[in-house]
Amino acid sequence: MLGAMTRKLASHAALLFLLTALALRAAAAPSPKRVEFNRDIRPILSENCLYCHGQDPKNRKAGLRLDVREDALAPHDDGTAIVPGKPESSDLITRLASTDKDEVMPPPKSNRRVTPEQAALLRRWIAEGAEYQKHWAFIPPARPALPELSAENSARVRNPIDRFVLARLETEGLAPSPEAAPNAWLRRVSLDLTGLPPTPREIDDFMSDVTARGEAAYEAASDRLLASPHFGERLAIDWLDAARYGDTHGFNNDSGRTMWRWRDWVIDAFNSNKPYDRFITEQLAGDLLPQATLDQRLATGFCRNHVINSEGGIIDEEYRVEYVSDRVRTMSMAWMGLTMECCRCHDHKYDPVTQRDYYRLFSFFNNVPEFGEDGRNGNAAPIMPAPTREQSAELRRAEQGIAAFDAKLEKMRAARDWSDADVEPIKKLAAEAAAKTPEKKQSLYLPCENAQPVRDAWSAVDVAPLSAAGVAGRAWHSDGTSALARIEGKKIKFDKSSLAFWLRPDAENPHDAPLFSNQNYGGVPAGSSYGNGQEIRLVDGEIDVRINQRFPAYALRVVSKGAEIIPGAWRHVTVSWTGGNRAEGVHIFIDGCEVATRIVNDGLTGFPSAVGYLLGADGAADSVKYRGSIDEIRAFDRLLTRAEIHAVFERDALPYALTQILSGDAGVRERGWLRDGALEATDPAWRVEAEQRGEAWEKYLALRRSLPEVMVMSEMAKPRQAYVLTRGNYDAHGEAVSPGAPEELLAPWPAGAPRNRLGLARWLTQPNQPLVGRVVVNRFWAQLFGTGIVKTLADFGSQGEWPSHPELLDWLAREFVDGGWNVKALFRTMVLSATYRQDSKVSAALAARDPENRLLARGPRFRLPAEIIRDQALAISGLLKNRVGGPSVYPYQPEKLYDGLVVAASYPGTHWEPSKGDDLYRRSLYTFWKRTVPHPVMIAFDAPDREFCTVSRSSTNTPLQALALMNEPTFLEASRKLGERMLKEGGADDAARVAMVFELATGRLPFEEETRVLLRTLCRFRDQFNCDPDSARAFLNVGASPVDASLAPADLAACSVVAGMILNLDETISKN
Amino acid sequence: MSCHQYESAFTRRDFLAKTGLGIGAAALAQMLGTEAKASDAATAAAPLFPNFAPKAKRVICLFQSGGPSHLDLFDNKPLLSKRFNEDLPDSVRQGQRITGMVASQARLALQPSKYSFKQSGPGGAWISDLLPHTQAIAGDICVVNSMFTDAINHDPAITFFQTGSQQPGRPSMGSWIDYGLGRMNENLPAFVVLISVATKGGAGQGLLARLWGNGFLPSRYQGVQFRAAGDPVLYLSDPEGMTRDRRRVMLDGIDELNRMQFERVGDPEIETRISQYEMAYRMQSSVPELMDLAGEPQHALDLYGPDVTKPGSFARNCMLARRLAERGTRFIQLYHRDWDHHGELQNRMPSICQDVDQPSAALVQDLKQRGLLDDTLIIWGGEFGRTPYAQGNANREKYGRDHHGKAFSIWMAGGGIRPGIVHGKTDDFGFNVVENGVHIHDLQATILSCLGIDHTKLTYKFQGRQFRLTDVHGEVVRAILT
Repeated sequence: MLGAMTRKLASHAALLFLLTALALRAAAAPSPKRVEFNRDIRPILSENCLYCHGQDPKNRKAGLRLDVREDALAPHDDGTAIVPGKPESSDLITRLASTDKDEVMPPPKSNRRVTPEQAALLRRWIAEGAEYQKHWAFIPPARPALPELSAENSARVRNPIDRFVLARLETEGLAPSPEAAPNAWLRRVSLDLTGLPPTPREIDDFMSDVTARGEAAYEAASDRLLASPHFGERLAIDWLDAARYGDTHGFNNDSGRTMWRWRDWVIDAFNSNKPYDRFITEQLAGDLLPQATLDQRLATGFCRNHVINSEGGIIDEEYRVEYVSDRVRTMSMAWMGLTMECCRCHDHKYDPVTQRDYYRLFSFFNNVPEFGEDGRNGNAAPIMPAPTREQSAELRRAEQGIAAFDAKLEKMRAARDWSDADVEPIKKLAAEAAAKTPEKKQSLYLPCENAQPVRDAWSAVDVAPLSAAGVAGRAWHSDGTSALARIEGKKIKFDKSSLAFWLRPDAENPHDAPLFSNQNYGGVPAGSSYGNGQEIRLVDGEIDVRINQRFPAYALRVVSKGAEIIPGAWRHVTVSWTGGNRAEGVHIFIDGCEVATRIVNDGLTGFPSAVGYLLGADGAADSVKYRGSIDEIRAFDRLLTRAEIHAVFERDALPYALTQILSGDAGVRERGWLRDGALEATDPAWRVEAEQRGEAWEKYLALRRSLPEVMVMSEMAKPRQAYVLTRGNYDAHGEAVSPGAPEELLAPWPAGAPRNRLGLARWLTQPNQPLVGRVVVNRFWAQLFGTGIVKTLADFGSQGEWPSHPELLDWLAREFVDGGWNVKALFRTMVLSATYRQDSKVSAALAARDPENRLLARGPRFRLPAEIIRDQALAISGLLKNRVGGPSVYPYQPEKLYDGLVVAASYPGTHWEPSKGDDLYRRSLYTFWKRTVPHPVMIAFDAPDREFCTVSRSSTNTPLQALALMNEPTFLEASRKLGERMLKEGGADDAARVAMVFELATGRLPFEEETRVLLRTLCRFRDQFNCDPDSARAFLNVGASPVDASLAPADLAACSVVAGMILNLDETISKN
Repeated sequence: MSCHQYESAFTRRDFLAKTGLGIGAAALAQMLGTEAKASDAATAAAPLFPNFAPKAKRVICLFQSGGPSHLDLFDNKPLLSKRFNEDLPDSVRQGQRITGMVASQARLALQPSKYSFKQSGPGGAWISDLLPHTQAIAGDICVVNSMFTDAINHDPAITFFQTGSQQPGRPSMGSWIDYGLGRMNENLPAFVVLISVATKGGAGQGLLARLWGNGFLPSRYQGVQFRAAGDPVLYLSDPEGMTRDRRRVMLDGIDELNRMQFERVGDPEIETRISQYEMAYRMQSSVPELMDLAGEPQHALDLYGPDVTKPGSFARNCMLARRLAERGTRFIQLYHRDWDHHGELQNRMPSICQDVDQPSAALVQDLKQRGLLDDTLIIWGGEFGRTPYAQGNANREKYGRDHHGKAFSIWMAGGGIRPGIVHGKTDDFGFNVVENGVHIHDLQATILSCLGIDHTKLTYKFQGRQFRLTDVHGEVVRAILT
């Protein structure tokens, strides 16, 4: 058996060699012209020599360097590697030819080999003077002259792309293929620009338009497709791979995250034809743009799409460094086509970039206030709410409504003077408020008069020696030397409960001061109980509520917005927990009115276990202390209503303000309380308005809480120092480095650009950046033609492949960059070119000579991406729900797919509950992307798992694909719906019926021989199902959509089988 | 209407004959198509494998996910009992990093195993009494007590074991081997994955599809999971109403239409597609046949123990592994989950050992009886071991242990492995390797070596660099080879 295997492998390898050799000859054949270093020599040196004789000094053998001309020409120990004009005196040549196994280069054990053809090239190159060139991709592209062509070929040119392609075909002695039929082009371009096939109606319209208007019809069709909202969806698919978008965090726990608003941003960006330099800038640094908009900050989700590890016990810094590294890798690969990550551990072996260059790039991304271990239960900080366009509009409407109320209330206030007549009604109101306090549910009350035991289970001890005038009686006061008090006893239940207190900070306060804390400050982050506990802190005048089981993996943090707690003035604070452990359950009230909040962390799953509190200090060894007063602390073991919270405020606020005003000491704030109190007590109209305003405000806050969240970038106030990490190890700090890019190699730092991510974006998008334009157009090209002009989409370095059409690449890059980074214009030019419009039919001879179609002597033909195969089936069957954007959806997936795979805990994203209704039939780019177990249909058709940046998918052809197309419920349901269409829309004649579905799927009518096969199968199945109608009914029973009962089951089942055949055809799942 | 008017002039057999698509030709077509793709990034001078005469043709990896405690299973350390509850000496730890879970523990208190050990087999391997069946096959296996790895947490450690890199993105061992050696059976995938979880307790750590993923190799090399529930291979079963005969008729239609398209368009991928549909059709019989144990004699079932009747059990999967091995599957990857015994080890260990002990031993014996052990390589072990100190407090009866990558044990058997020996040694604490350390890359190099592959030659060019399973490391452990 083994013998047979070996023989098979041998013949297979020989064949493989032959094919590849042919391909190489086709793509990069040396012409009889002068040898050119970049095209002919660099690939040989890079592959065979530079690993040991390149720029990495640590790896350099014999001190010889071949990547720099001066070094290569310098005399060396016992000879000279390269003597220009004298190959026979050049060691490089003699060592290649040596038969001594100690002499020969490359060494036999290196697995490298220079072919005789390559050796001959090297010899010629040295004979011709051994001229070096800077690597082509590091030289800014210049606009090349358009090549001259034969008259015959000139007539074929539709735009400059064709000139470059035809010129190469002329030198190869090949003719281009004829133009594809208009309907073939329309299907191709529709799939390429929208990911959806043309409808028969669109085909008919286009065919008549072509007859009527010729070329204008092609332009109109391109423009229609480019204007479609599905253009953005189509382009997003590839970018989601590059940007490693996922709906889960990856790694072992692989719990859910919410990033779909960033996906919406991508779709919008392509649809609105956002100039690509803005596309780069906003994703890298939208948060740093002046007056950054919500959309610009949202765009930076790109930098947070990396995987995040929440595995207990990991070393936090190790993973934080991974995330920063991932950003460098993604940015470098997706926009520069550089394999920068090679320099994480050492200088690049092949390209002139160093480890220092790497860590200078690293330092741009190193300043995010983030943790290594995070994201176990939802998004990892930093996060922000990201309303959709509709939600933004709704928010604006709500804000306007509130402003209208406020204007009315303000008018009423303005018309109201304080008078002594108000004293009694105010007193009465205060008494009523006191009566409304639900004292029976009050689990803790500290009047803060002096140290005294409170109730049975509580005691306040260690009261600070200081006290001061309070809101009601005396208050506790701290001068910052010690905690105010320690409260011992049972913990406050932070669930369906409320905590209220007064505070008046002194002028001198730390910007972040603890008010209540029982948080554990022992151990290290990622320690099993690190951060366990609860805190309320005063941070820059805002109330900051933190609840942690373990920090930061299980942490909740909510900060008020607009509390305006200023030194020297009393303010009343109530914090309410509405139940559950989500951040949206935390409500903060200032002076009896709820304020808006900002969620910083939202990862709690249970509650901490710590008991007792420090007041005005925390448990850290070097705790900062709150300076100021605190008074009237009340905890309630049920949730207070809005009215009750207002009452708890008023019961103390009004008597206090009254005393102040009567003694002439009232400030603006106290006067305000009194005026509002007087209005409340005496003016029914005020009550109505205030009540309505309160309701509108509550609705507004609820809306804010319901907004989708997204992880974004933000900069720490003080940047982290970045270091070269020795051998890439997170804890091996080498030389300290400052932010920078490979500027000498590629492009200067733009004058005046800041040394931050925004500056980096400017550096990348300057017109003479040699790589970015080329890399981006090359990837878009590959999207249409299957292979890039540079085949190695992710590597434009010296190990990358020489471009098949270098001038075309440069022309496209210049057009793109100089034309304002206009993506739609680029696609328009490409799809209207004669090159793109060629027929994809290939002769055996051409297929053998150019299997990958690098020379473009024919139109593109390759299998559709996974998403589009499914989307097409949904579209033509009429099942597709074509709404653009929104949260991820859960189409059919085999039951128990996660069994045995996902972690044994119910984190978000570990359970697949199939969607109902429309969401079963959305486009595939909206399918929930679980990185460790992605949807099997996507994986079967070569979608990556998105754990890291991928810029090209493999294209395989496997039996699992056949099984999925034959048996996956979406495809079965689509064939049933197509069967229905066949019967209902296809007319009475079977031939017309099968032709209809065939055209839906392939964009053309079947040939007679094809019709015969389809009809024969239809007829057989109809006979079979007629004899066995139960089996027909069973066959139809797939999918959630109802079976059309008006159709005879046997007939429908037979039609569905034939429709299924059509969905399985190679032509259907290919772009032709 | 009669169907005759649509009948073609030729039958299916004629069709296949005419188009040159016999079974052999289908295999050839498949190679033409997909292998030409595989050359995308491979160099033209892709080396031929095997490089030298292989000892093993196939591999069965019995992966124990979660990190089994070497100190309770294979590495007997009486000193831990003598020095019970003493602190791990700094001279032993030598400042080596420990996980965040115990980093804040005040003490690292030495924790002996509560289980007794017996010396078994000619090499005198110490094997825990929790594994009586393994003790009984000690003469057939090689216990390696000097394994060590770079990672201390599950995800990176298991990814390292299976792909040679702690970070995601590299091809798994099975993918590399499939890529290098190709398939031996045209009706089954070359790389199959079977998963089971502990009978008692829970599933523990998640598994990730990337562990049998193709990384940057073409995705045809990814492992195919055979599932215990539902379709053994996803979408394998035809829907109701679609009998085998009917499927054949439908496939004939698809083949014929694809063939017409090929004749018009000329793209060789279409021929590949036709052959893949044929293979799918064959898999629809071969996989259910494989999964069906009805033909197994009672004595064979008994060998694997009572759990063999339960789909999805480790015992069942071991028997399936043997059946796959018989049919020529190249790489058979089993996982058994829930070895992550941070606490309650005393409750979880006996039960999980019971899950795996008899079936693992049965697999070795069964293969041996069938003459398959000689060319089948078996590897039994997890991603790391566990600490000689307790997680939490030390206690002679109730305890847990944290992750430990500096030393752990595995066993190997079969093709190319010297049976009945013990390789490598740890210090008296079972903390550091002191003799014949075997790094994960060494293990991988050794596995490839058994298959006749020089691990430095099995490479794939990706992003400008030649990658390999062992990165730039790995030494074949000659001492354990026959």
